Amino acid sequence: MSRYQRRAMHFVCMLLIVLLYVVSVPWYREADAPLRIWLGLPDWVAVALLCYVGVAIVNAVAWVITDVPDAFDYLEKSQESEESDGSKVSGSAQ
Amino acid sequence: MNFGIWGVVSLVIYLAALLGVAEIARRAKRDTSPSDHFLAGRSLGTFVLFLTLYATAYSGNSLLGYPGRAYRDGYSFIMATGFMMAIIVMFHVIVPRLRPIAVQHAFVTPGDYLRLRFSGPWARPLRLAVAVLMSLALANFLLAQLKAMGDVASVVTDGRVSYPAGVIGLAAVILIYETRGGMRAVAWTDAAQGIAMLLGLAALLGWLLSEAGGFTEITRAVAERRPSAVSIPTSTVCINWFSTIALMGLASVLYPQAIQRIFAARSGRALKRSFSGMTFMPLATTLVVTLIGVAAIARFDITNAVDTDEVVPMLLRDWGSAGGFSTWAALLVFLGALSAIMSTADSCLLSLGSLLSRDLLGQEGRDEKATRLGKHLAAGMLIATIPFALWRDLTLWRLIELKMELLIQCVPAFLIALHWSRLRAGPVFTGIVVGTLFSAGLSLIGVTRLGGVHVGVAGCALNTLVAVLGSLRSFDDEPRSPDVARAGTAF
Repeated sequence: MSRYQRRAMHFVCMLLIVLLYVVSVPWYREADAPLRIWLGLPDWVAVALLCYVGVAIVNAVAWVITDVPDAFDYLEKSQESEESDGSKVSGSAQ
Repeated sequence: MNFGIWGVVSLVIYLAALLGVAEIARRAKRDTSPSDHFLAGRSLGTFVLFLTLYATAYSGNSLLGYPGRAYRDGYSFIMATGFMMAIIVMFHVIVPRLRPIAVQHAFVTPGDYLRLRFSGPWARPLRLAVAVLMSLALANFLLAQLKAMGDVASVVTDGRVSYPAGVIGLAAVILIYETRGGMRAVAWTDAAQGIAMLLGLAALLGWLLSEAGGFTEITRAVAERRPSAVSIPTSTVCINWFSTIALMGLASVLYPQAIQRIFAARSGRALKRSFSGMTFMPLATTLVVTLIGVAAIARFDITNAVDTDEVVPMLLRDWGSAGGFSTWAALLVFLGALSAIMSTADSCLLSLGSLLSRDLLGQEGRDEKATRLGKHLAAGMLIATIPFALWRDLTLWRLIELKMELLIQCVPAFLIALHWSRLRAGPVFTGIVVGTLFSAGLSLIGVTRLGGVHVGVAGCALNTLVAVLGSLRSFDDEPRSPDVARAGTAF
């Protein structure tokens, strides 16, 4: 997977996580609705729990595709970047 | 109570084992530098790193405070599983950018990053302000652990060790093994303590489920005893749910001891593997303690909020009273809980020592003198915290919130600074002062929420606004290290 593809996939993972968090909170349910049990839990708790299981899986994928460079890799990449650009890496990247 | 003298014997054996590990860790030391003492010579691999992150993140707060809060709030505290996961999500913002510069510049404390990132006349006041906030948050965290340690020691020994004696005695043991073994002792004991905690919690939940006849029966019993504990949360509770996720997610990544584990990892690969595993741990820990707290609603009738922190000890007493295997299993869970609490306390203490000596007092040396100063300051801080631990009028949950409301004010200095090169020291410092005064002022007059939103989160929004707008209006060309600019190219 190329660096660009990993970045795109990482972005999609983060969007999915935000969506799952929004769904996990029962703001869209009537507060006085009768109790319904699902998977042994109140249904709104079961939905929240399934969302958090989803967050865990998506987040694990996001960590797997994330680059966490060490100083050695970082120096190498910086040098390669300098060689290809013929100049120092721009501060605007930060 | 039913542990008898075996409770005392088990406690003594456990503490002796901790001191033994500290001695082995002391012998494994390569030198007397702060990097070796506070970061284990940056040698932590995936397995130990994962367990030390786990044992540090899940503490006395998680084991005693969270069930207490779940007992008070009911099923809506399922939010805890979400906010503990949000912490691992938020580390995406900080780890890939901070790790390479941390290794390149041999950072020991969070303040080392600020020293490199910011310059100009406001850089030093900013470092001091962040160091003060982090030290206060750590001292608060340490205080919560001391309170929990006193409670558990008293129960394990059937009151033979009183609450004050438990606080003081266990604090002394932590001080000895942390001072002698440094981060190695802390990480190694964390690894064993993490495993003990996981097994203990699983056993306790298994017992509760077998007693009640399954989740459905527990839910029905809770609904009968307290209907509000199972009902759909009101809009204010939902707002508070979002606010708590923001508060815990943003503030917890700024725990100094968590940041120092980013520095202490052997490699970036070890770090990302550890975080991949950590993202599942709220399901194995926070969810379990939440369900334990909710299940307790059907068993006990506690009216005083402070006493709800006793929910887990009360359940364990019930479990242990069955005799035979149950007694031993309950005793093991107690020791697992105690070890989890001590592992968090030792991490706080280690971090506090380095933070006070390097970031607050400016002792930036890399020699034995700097290490010794850090040890002495940590010891002083621990002794100063003990009297507060003997005062028991705050719930563990309120202590967590207070700590997070302080830490979250450091968000612009790290999370935004790592991603936006125009951020300047002056506006960030002003933002921290405004945000802290806002949230601390409201807390002091008894206002903890604004329409369900934590005052710390509202203060952080104000703080960020001041930092960003101030930096946009700033025309000074503050010099910045080219290394920091390069770090921005990391994914």
